[in-house]
Amino acid sequence: MRDRSIVVWAVLAALLLVVLNLPKGAHQQIKSALREGVAPLQETVSGFVLDVREAFRSVRGLSGVLNENRKMAAELVLLRNEVRDLRSLERENTELREQLQFARRINRQLIPCEVIARDIAGWWQTIRLNRGSAEGVQPNMAVITPDGLAGRTMEASPRTADVILISDRGSKVSARIARTGSFGVVSGQGLTASGQVVCRMDFINKNTPVFVGDEVVTSGLGGVFPKGLLIGYVESIHADDSGLFQWADVIPKADLGTLTYVFVLAEQENPIDEYLRKMEFKRGAQP
Amino acid sequence: MTTLLMWFVVVFGAVLQAALPAPTWLGQAQGPVLLGIVLYYGLAHTRPMMLQAAVLAGLLQDALSLSPLGYSSFVFCVVGLIVERFRDAVFVHELFTRMLFGALGAGAVTLGLYGLLAQEDLVAARASWVVLKTVGSVVLGAIIVPLECELLAALDRMLGNVEAQRT
Repeated sequence: MRDRSIVVWAVLAALLLVVLNLPKGAHQQIKSALREGVAPLQETVSGFVLDVREAFRSVRGLSGVLNENRKMAAELVLLRNEVRDLRSLERENTELREQLQFARRINRQLIPCEVIARDIAGWWQTIRLNRGSAEGVQPNMAVITPDGLAGRTMEASPRTADVILISDRGSKVSARIARTGSFGVVSGQGLTASGQVVCRMDFINKNTPVFVGDEVVTSGLGGVFPKGLLIGYVESIHADDSGLFQWADVIPKADLGTLTYVFVLAEQENPIDEYLRKMEFKRGAQP
Repeated sequence: MTTLLMWFVVVFGAVLQAALPAPTWLGQAQGPVLLGIVLYYGLAHTRPMMLQAAVLAGLLQDALSLSPLGYSSFVFCVVGLIVERFRDAVFVHELFTRMLFGALGAGAVTLGLYGLLAQEDLVAARASWVVLKTVGSVVLGAIIVPLECELLAALDRMLGNVEAQRT
């Protein structure tokens, strides 16, 4: 019995040492395999949890349905007006693009995903999606909700993808103030004790007037996030200690605490690129 | 059968831990479901079983988070071994013992993991938040671990895995 115990000890210690010293590629492969194995169970459990939550919410919200209906009707009128405005803007935009003879037009494809889990360790602001590389989700793709930017994909296995939210302290997004166009970097600040998600926009030009309520959008610099995605609104403005910049607290527009469905922004392949890739492949296949 | 049950419980525990909400007023501390399983095996089963549970639970926890593989396994093994070392000196079936082990274990795992992750610059957090998270883990550990121990003991009895128990 004691011999067996020593063997188990030795095997487990060796296993742990090997795992801790694995190269990064092998790490990712093992992680990916484990995630793939657990994903169906996670999806089932998250579906069940969602059903229970919805049931509770619908029971609790019955009294507020009338008010909500009224509010939504008003919102619908506003949104229709906005859509009308946007259509005319889009038409104008298309005409301008044609006039400038843009050779390439960037199309974005939306991949709808369901959130199946949040970070299990509680150290990061991450979510796991039920779509992965098999559906075209790759690392470093923007993840959005109908309200605004949610984050970017970090790792993708064939059927799942991990997303780091903009509220995570490790997240940095190149942004600009929509009204003035001044640039800055939005970084996550985690959650406050009251559960409010806060981000911080640094390196704003000190000479640019910034007001509470100003819209913060992605700048398009850096290559991950396309230009013009709504991040949130300025809540407060502060002077930087160095005196060279100012910084602002930004409240994200997307409700990052209760994400259920999100979209991954995948870049659609340009028809010219696709043709060239196919030609290259054919050429490569020839002896 | 005991090993099979352990594997099943650890996988299910990982899924459950990921699905549990992390209250912000407790520093977003996650319910220590996997730690509870390790502590149960440390208190009621042999040392090799506990170590297997610790390694597997740690690997799953790391695979389902951004943590490098092996960090959680290491911390779980250390905490499991400490608990296993002291189990003969305490009344392992007492609720208070399980609460105490759960609370201290969860606090130790949170701080241990933070130490390892911060050393590698993998996590950036305010000190106040880490303290709040540790307190949250302690509270959740004191609540969840005794419950889990009861459930797992009942499951072990139901499936006739009593030969593995030392008590």
